[in-house]
Amino acid sequence: MPKNQNIDPKVVRQARFLEFGKIPVNQYSRTIDQERANFTNEDFIRIYRDMVIIREFETMLNLIKTKNEYNGIPYNHPGPAHLSVGQEAAAVGMAYTLGADDYIFGSHRSHGEILAKGLSAINKLTEDELYTIMSGYFGGSALKVVEKGFAGPVRELAVSFLLYGALAEIFARENGFNKGLGGSMHAFFTPFGIYPNNAIVGGSGDISVGAALYKKINRKPGIIVCNIGDASMGCGPVWEGISFATMDQYNTLWEGDYRGGLPLIFNFMNNQYGMGGQTAGETMGYGILARIGAGVNPEMMHAERVDGYNPLAVIDAFRRKREILDHKKGPVLLDTLTYRISGHSPSDASSYRSKEEIEAWMNEDSITEYGKTMTAAGIAGSDQLEEIKLETSELLSHILKLSIDDKISPRLDLDSDPDSIGKMMFSNAAADRMEDRVPEVLIPMEENPRVKSLKTKERFFIDKAGNPVSKVKLYQLRDGLFEAIIDRFYKDPTLAAWGEENRDWGGAFAVYRGLTEALPYHRLFNSPISEGAIVGTAIGYGMCGGRVIAEIMYCDFLGRSGDEVLNQLPKWQAMSGNIIKMPVVVRVSVGSKYGAQHSQDWSSIVAHIPGLKVVFPATPFDAKGLMNSALQGTDPVIFFESQRIYDIGEMFHEGGVPEGYYEVPIGEPDIKRPGKDLTILSIGATLYPVIKAAGILEQKYGVSAEVIDARSLVPFNYEPVLESVRKTGKLVLASDASSRGSFLKEMAQTITELAFDWLDAPPVVVGSRNWIIPAHEMENYFFPQPFWIIDAIHEKIIPLAGHQPGSDFSHGKSILLNKGGV
Amino acid sequence: MAIPVIMPKQGQSVETCIITRWFKSKGEPVSAGDILFSYETDKAAFDLESPSDGILLEIFFAEGAEVPVLQNVAILGSAGESFVAPATGMIHNTGVTEPASPSAVTDPGASVAPAGPAGNEQGRIRISPRARRLAQSKSLDINQISGSGPYGRIITRDIDDLLTRQGPIAIEKQAADVFTDMPLTNVRKLIARAMHSSLQNSAQLTHHMSADVRKLLEARKKIKEELVKDPKAADITLNDMICWCIIKALKKFPGANSHFLDDRIRTFSGIHLGIAVDTERGLMVPSIKDADRMDLRNLSGALRAAATACRQGKIDPELIKSTSASFTVSNLGNYGVEIFTPVINLPQVAILGVCTIMNRPADLGNSTFGFIPVMGLSLTYDHRAIDGGPATLFLREIKEQIEQFTNS
Repeated sequence: MPKNQNIDPKVVRQARFLEFGKIPVNQYSRTIDQERANFTNEDFIRIYRDMVIIREFETMLNLIKTKNEYNGIPYNHPGPAHLSVGQEAAAVGMAYTLGADDYIFGSHRSHGEILAKGLSAINKLTEDELYTIMSGYFGGSALKVVEKGFAGPVRELAVSFLLYGALAEIFARENGFNKGLGGSMHAFFTPFGIYPNNAIVGGSGDISVGAALYKKINRKPGIIVCNIGDASMGCGPVWEGISFATMDQYNTLWEGDYRGGLPLIFNFMNNQYGMGGQTAGETMGYGILARIGAGVNPEMMHAERVDGYNPLAVIDAFRRKREILDHKKGPVLLDTLTYRISGHSPSDASSYRSKEEIEAWMNEDSITEYGKTMTAAGIAGSDQLEEIKLETSELLSHILKLSIDDKISPRLDLDSDPDSIGKMMFSNAAADRMEDRVPEVLIPMEENPRVKSLKTKERFFIDKAGNPVSKVKLYQLRDGLFEAIIDRFYKDPTLAAWGEENRDWGGAFAVYRGLTEALPYHRLFNSPISEGAIVGTAIGYGMCGGRVIAEIMYCDFLGRSGDEVLNQLPKWQAMSGNIIKMPVVVRVSVGSKYGAQHSQDWSSIVAHIPGLKVVFPATPFDAKGLMNSALQGTDPVIFFESQRIYDIGEMFHEGGVPEGYYEVPIGEPDIKRPGKDLTILSIGATLYPVIKAAGILEQKYGVSAEVIDARSLVPFNYEPVLESVRKTGKLVLASDASSRGSFLKEMAQTITELAFDWLDAPPVVVGSRNWIIPAHEMENYFFPQPFWIIDAIHEKIIPLAGHQPGSDFSHGKSILLNKGGV
Repeated sequence: MAIPVIMPKQGQSVETCIITRWFKSKGEPVSAGDILFSYETDKAAFDLESPSDGILLEIFFAEGAEVPVLQNVAILGSAGESFVAPATGMIHNTGVTEPASPSAVTDPGASVAPAGPAGNEQGRIRISPRARRLAQSKSLDINQISGSGPYGRIITRDIDDLLTRQGPIAIEKQAADVFTDMPLTNVRKLIARAMHSSLQNSAQLTHHMSADVRKLLEARKKIKEELVKDPKAADITLNDMICWCIIKALKKFPGANSHFLDDRIRTFSGIHLGIAVDTERGLMVPSIKDADRMDLRNLSGALRAAATACRQGKIDPELIKSTSASFTVSNLGNYGVEIFTPVINLPQVAILGVCTIMNRPADLGNSTFGFIPVMGLSLTYDHRAIDGGPATLFLREIKEQIEQFTNS
């Protein structure tokens, strides 16, 4: 909400008509002779060769899937193979002009795209560059395999390397581009500018926008091509990605040479089917996909349909679109029309389309047609083209043999190291900054009004006389977050933050107040209300090498970013074979007072997903220390905050919150109140009702409770808790999450297992009710209250003399509630 | 012969069936193929045909009962025939019921009901793992503790309360039993382990024989007389003399001077005589190395020195290992033991128990009968290493050495 752009009612209320320009559809019409100016004969032939390689690669996989052999070489591949037979011209045309600095993102059907992009990069890189890349990748393990007995030029060696790395990856071999952990739908090779394919339809729709932001914000050369299918136009994240990529602010608010559009092409590889659904005619309503561009922005996204059956038409389109991007007029929408002759997968019987349709497209097959054009133009003889096919077939036989030989291409050895995948789930690195250069800021930090104001605050909740400090003088939890974040903005030039109301508003909960003054627009900006894309773009930004804080405001909005948080963010480090890092912090705020869709604690949901670190600090000291750790690391961290306690002062850390930099290690619980009779483990803001309960237990019942604040959910060091439980034998676990399936249950089970013989009662979970969260006035019936904790102790752990329970924690009640599903 | 009627198993996942209707009643004659009852699973209904002709002697489950599959539902047979009622938990996969603890039912009129589920809530003791561990470490009987925890669970405070009431030493005071629990000393633990292991891991048995000890006593008498004259003279005890005889016998029977080592027998060229010594800390068996090279006087000195060292706790630990001796003597004669079965100190193959001297009537010759002093000898040997014949010969050799005692 920039104050310098007033919305004038006189203007916006004026009567007028919107007019749309023309969107070109298949307008390419050059003859091959006309194209001779742009291509040498070698170029023409190389285009043909690249298409043949892709066709043969996919044909090989199809034969392996359907006949368990290729050229007499038997093999069984149980995994996926979504083939792109028919789409070769689109892939090669897309990649032809791209260099290694240009990144492509893909879909589940992207073998052709990664091969095309790889072949294009191989053609553009010098032999020295190629050799350095190949010999440096995983210690040259893949190179050694293809190099053995190879006598040709480096460029040809690189082709073998590309085919072997991709095929070994598809067959889950350790020599694969991603150690066999990505597989067919996730194979990629960043040194050639090949970024992740994505098994979730439209998954790249917002991730690629983040990559474009990375290029733009960090002034990196190159463009981003987001290769997704026509059917992904029905996916929310794609629309969110498009919204995010076409925000006005790039052209209106971003300053200096940052002003201007993103270097991004949404390239819809339009094969006209989404599984069996016919997009134009059945499942979508756009008629011609390129039409979508008209509705997005005044530039109509420079949308165009291009004939993806003619490689030259696609190359031409990409040349023209690149110029648009170079002029910062992006992003661009391309509707690259093609046809998938193969089924969705080898098990697809094509029951949804007619034989006649498939035959018609086969009659216009791009490879055959292009070959005929070349022979007619005298560029190559038909025997030369046959020779290319023969050589490719032989090469692939050779590569296949190498890829399926268990001695040459073993899988990751999980026998000798059963934890080897576990070790790749997190990069666990520490980096002050992701890149060495001076961070762009607007003012020196000490001149920042909030930094100045914080100098006057009391950093402990009581003053020296022991009196509580008033809210206005108190250093609050939100200040701890701010200090950690602004510190990192002045350390790491790549750090950027976005989300809803991040800039002038200062974040919905005033954590970012003071950052607007400190940071240029491109480092801190407001996003559309697109929680999926807020996280998705952060993923793309992170995997390209930038550090980012994505904020999705209320925890309840995690649902909106479900695929990004559950399927994308946690997976890419391990699925890349640890090639990429994911320094992404997602700030999530648990609400209060706002009812059922604005008050939920969903920490358990993300803690369940392998690959995410999850923290939930409850004190200013821990908030600052954990944020510092999260921003120092290179792993995705879901950073929970609670709106209940943004204004709370530090009550536990003696001396208050330090002014300087310090880290609270992720995964270490903290004893907030020592005790000897009973242990209470709490997560998040529930710490405060727990502390209250501990006080009552002490005063009224003479029970000394040790209160441990989990601080982190994943990872989690159980040792301090076990030590306490071995001492007390009694354990209550409390958090604001609904109790069914909450992370507390996971903790209770683990502790029972690890300390069973020391337990004097089963660990008791006191969570929120399994209801909708009622209005604030009724919240006390929903969230754990101090007396619930005491009642639970009385009824389930140790009867307290003279205690009259106010709530029912009996076995019978528990069975009844479970029976009722509440 | 009584024929059990079994509830069939209708499908892999079916565990119980419900009897929906009986078509025959108890005591009624039935023919093979008659429908006895109908029953149903959660998915389908079936009829059960009689497997043979006969009288329906007993029905164990009424209509509406849920019956585990392969359970005996009824008994067919001839009138008045006795049969065995099923007990729960005796269901076999073969479909044949085989009572584990049968209760014979001869009166067909007696009502026979299937047993209810074993164990009930009243019989269970609720106790937390921590309290159970604490009770065990204090040797408390949890049956005697009442729980103050939720649902009557015994929790640590109940144990703590009990211990506080009873004082620091955990003595359980009840009207009938008073006892004290003492933790085992290490020596006790070692002895316990060695003795238990010996009996568990070898094939030992004992032969008993008696030796005329008139010569032995005569020799002892002389020694005592010498001592009166010269207090510095060697005090050779009866035990010394017996050991002396045993050594001589062992020289003739090296098979008894051995260790049994599972796959081989190790026979020693020297005789390392183990001698059981009672000490305050418990039984100790020091070995006298190369006892066969000693004269009686030296042997006597060595035996006394070893016993003293044991009692003072100064014995070289190497010497009290069971592998240190090649044969052991245990003398309980002083205590008046008449006969016993000593336990072998493995891996040794035999041990000689020396018993008290008793007077026994004997033919003194010339048709004169009188009493002569005899000493019991109990040889325990490991049958794995020595057979009964050689063992008896060895024992007889000891007897003869004693009866023919000489000090040279």
